[in-house]
Amino acid sequence: MKIFKSIKWRLQLWYGLMLIVVLAGFGVTAYQLERNRQFRRIDEELHRRVNVLVNALHRPPPRGQNPNESLSAPPPAKFRLPPETVSWFDAGDPHDFYFIVRTRNGDEIARSANAPSVEFSPDNRALVEGDAARHRRAENFHPPVVNTFGNYREFFQATPGGETVCVGCRVEAEQREFAVTALELAGVGGIILLIGLAGGGWLVARSLRPIQAISAAALKISAGDLSQRINVEETESELGQLAAILNSTFTRLETAFAQQKQFASDAAHELRTPVTVMLTQTQTALNRERTAEDYKQTVAACQRAAQRMRRLIESLLELARFDAGQEVLKRQPFDLSKTVADCAELVQPLAAARGVKIISKIIPVEITGDAERLAQVVTNLLSNAIQFNRPDGEVRVTLDLQNGLVVLTVADTGQGIPPANLPRVFERFYRADPSRTGGGHAGLGLSICQAIVTAQGGMIEVASELGTGTIFTLRLPTN
Amino acid sequence: MRILVVEDEPDLLASLAQALREEGYAVDTAATGDDGLFSAEGTDYDAIVLDVMLPGLDGWEILKRLRKTKKTPVLMLTARDQMRDRVRGLDTGADDYVVKPFDLEELFARLRAIIRRSTNKTTSVIEIGEVKIDTAARHVFLKRKPVELTAREYSLVEFLALHRGEVVTRTQLYEHLFDENECSLSNLLDVHVSNVRKKLGAEFIVTRRGHGYCIE
Repeated sequence: MKIFKSIKWRLQLWYGLMLIVVLAGFGVTAYQLERNRQFRRIDEELHRRVNVLVNALHRPPPRGQNPNESLSAPPPAKFRLPPETVSWFDAGDPHDFYFIVRTRNGDEIARSANAPSVEFSPDNRALVEGDAARHRRAENFHPPVVNTFGNYREFFQATPGGETVCVGCRVEAEQREFAVTALELAGVGGIILLIGLAGGGWLVARSLRPIQAISAAALKISAGDLSQRINVEETESELGQLAAILNSTFTRLETAFAQQKQFASDAAHELRTPVTVMLTQTQTALNRERTAEDYKQTVAACQRAAQRMRRLIESLLELARFDAGQEVLKRQPFDLSKTVADCAELVQPLAAARGVKIISKIIPVEITGDAERLAQVVTNLLSNAIQFNRPDGEVRVTLDLQNGLVVLTVADTGQGIPPANLPRVFERFYRADPSRTGGGHAGLGLSICQAIVTAQGGMIEVASELGTGTIFTLRLPTN
Repeated sequence: MRILVVEDEPDLLASLAQALREEGYAVDTAATGDDGLFSAEGTDYDAIVLDVMLPGLDGWEILKRLRKTKKTPVLMLTARDQMRDRVRGLDTGADDYVVKPFDLEELFARLRAIIRRSTNKTTSVIEIGEVKIDTAARHVFLKRKPVELTAREYSLVEFLALHRGEVVTRTQLYEHLFDENECSLSNLLDVHVSNVRKKLGAEFIVTRRGHGYCIE
């Protein structure tokens, strides 16, 4: 059943049961105590009367020393109600005390007129013999038997001679009182139970309310609405804290999703242009018969587009590998100054074509890391510095040791990057100039540089001044 | 029909221009935003194909500035296909929108549609007396029989038909039938007009001496 699976109902059931057990325990105990207190008073009265009646029983002396005689029944006792006790019985008061005296065989010796005709008395013989058995174990022990029968309470006392004296009284009023007490206790118990259940239910519902809010929000999020948050009212409770933690998790999830979405959309966008080139080129070429030269041009254009897509895909895969932590960098000692010099030589033709001068100021530095990857970073920075430089500008490369860190700087004399865009230069697909001029660079170069440098245990920074130039600074640990 | 294509990717620009010329349009090209705006403001094009991402002025800016002076139909080309970009394009005054990568056939159809709309025609078929012009298929029929026209002749017929009842000046015709690189000899137009009259009937194109030509 679903209702027993719910925490709310299981809790309710459990403390409902506990409350019933505790209340019943208290109720029964209170009832018993009250009952005993009432009966003790009556029992004292009964006891007093029984004692008087037992003493009023007169047994005639044995008639002879015949040993056989002891086996036969002793002669019946004589009973006479002491005159001073006459008023004790059949007085017509609510208790209406009565007495019955019997022989060992159960024959009545005497009874008061108001004694009920129904016999409640236990079997005389059993009473007497039980009494005798107890007698043998402990001398002078005359425990009486007290019993309640319906509206009567009776007190039995066996005499050493085997007679039983029974004094009884009506306890109707007491019984009624007990019934009222029992009802009162049950009523109070019931009310306490109801209050307990209602209060508990309210408390449970209230404490579980955040869970409903949490599950409602989680449901919407799993349905795709990542902007959902849990409405937290009680931030102090455990569930409130949980909700706050979940909310911050959702926020990070949403940001990560948005970034991922943006990345995928940017990547798709970058692929659109080369695909468009290939489509229009091929569709135009196939529209009618062409000369061999026309076909050659079409194929060349398609090849350029395909190369562009290949570069983009390679960059994307490279970044994906860094993101997934799958890109393992080599850790070998190498001469970084030589690497930098090689890179500068590599880009020299590009610099010459744009009339840019490369000025190096490098000291010999040996570090441990991936020479090839760092060469990629340096080449990228140098190419950027040349490409975004003014004609006849300068690119300054320095390599130095500062505070135990290797510091490499690449500075250009270009037009600089506006301060607003500066934090974005390492962003994926960010380009200072959003158009495609720039040889089909997708704006992933600096992102890859950053990924490499970070994986190398270093950091890359950028500073720029409009009109003066931009400077990239690399800090790397020596080992 | 004369069209301006503004696109910075050289391979795409070249193939688009070639394909449009083969469709019978006179095509001018621009590779930067500034060149594009300069051309668009200086000539009455029948339509402009405008890329959004351009060096210098971008497509949005060109469109905004152009709309201050001209109502030339503009077809935007973009690599972004998010709804807000489309909405922005249409709100800024673009007449239609094509998302890269596109099929040439679709681009042509949309181009024909915005040109047709700009001349207040709702269907692609124009009927003038016994002459029927299917602007989608670029076919002309006389008494239900197809008539062979050269691309330039067809363009002349189509332009006059789209401006039916109006007097079209020779300058207008030169502007719309020839692109900026063609050296337009003054009698070239007369040759085309005379050829069309031979094929579709002498009274199909009426000469308004001193003004221009007209289809009534």
